Amino acid sequence: MGLRSLVALPVDKGGSVVRFTLESTDDANTDYLITNAAYGLSADQTLLFGLPYRIEPAGSDRTGDLSVLYRHIGWREDNWDGTNRLGLLIGALLPSQTESDSAAQAGLVYTHFKNRNEIDSDLVYRFGNDDRLDSARYDISWQYRLHPDKRPAWGLVPELNSVLELNGRWLEDEDVVHQVTVGLQWIHPRLVLEGGVVRDISNSSESRVLLSTRFHF
Amino acid sequence: MRPLLITALLTIGLMQPAPARTLEIEVYGMTCAFCVDSLQRTFNKNEEVEKVDVSLEQKKVRLETRGDLPSVETIRQMILDAGFTPIKITELPDSSD
Repeated sequence: MGLRSLVALPVDKGGSVVRFTLESTDDANTDYLITNAAYGLSADQTLLFGLPYRIEPAGSDRTGDLSVLYRHIGWREDNWDGTNRLGLLIGALLPSQTESDSAAQAGLVYTHFKNRNEIDSDLVYRFGNDDRLDSARYDISWQYRLHPDKRPAWGLVPELNSVLELNGRWLEDEDVVHQVTVGLQWIHPRLVLEGGVVRDISNSSESRVLLSTRFHF
Repeated sequence: MRPLLITALLTIGLMQPAPARTLEIEVYGMTCAFCVDSLQRTFNKNEEVEKVDVSLEQKKVRLETRGDLPSVETIRQMILDAGFTPIKITELPDSSD
């Protein structure tokens, strides 16, 4: 699963995942804590939640919109050396402030995994209600297992992945902002530590740092 | 006396637990450490399963059970619920023989 998007995350029936991400932008001097959670209704059905909270600058309206998504894996092809999965996303963006408007959201997520490589891609479109503008995002993430070269015959050792992503964010009446994300993931069976640097490559050269941890239980 | 003896022997025989089994299941779709954890959590919830080993390298799960349970169908469903595809279930010969 990539750094910027949680929607490709595999979750088993009855399984849960919680992720905390600290996103820091030096230029704008803003820090966000983004909390994500996922719950597996079945092997093919997952509920995904996301809620950003602004740490800096302080002030009012620090809690962002709650994203609720239902994911249905509609097509799956598991094979000896990997898997291919295509899922449908549907849900809503619920404002935490009464003066904001909600949005409906829908999209697709595709995962390809083979040997040491995983590619996750997703596209989500948000249809704004009332005064809220439409928006969209895409994420294409390539993860490559750096360590170990060869996995043990039985059992596990912690794994280290490199992550390279191309991301895009679009708001109605504005141009798409394309971004590149480079990072690392350290994967333990129930815990992941990951971090990366995001750099805008279209409108500005703004960069930000991501640090995140997630727990599976 | 003889029927009583036979009944007693049969009762004792029925009370004996079914012999432990070791099953090896080929599973497709496992990709990462979380897949291993998912399968281990799934099978550890089942009281009849004594030990679970997962091999990402060989795409296999090895189960040691206390007896005849869980059934092959239950095992298949548990793997499907964990999000993977069971391919083949093989009962390994008892190494204590």
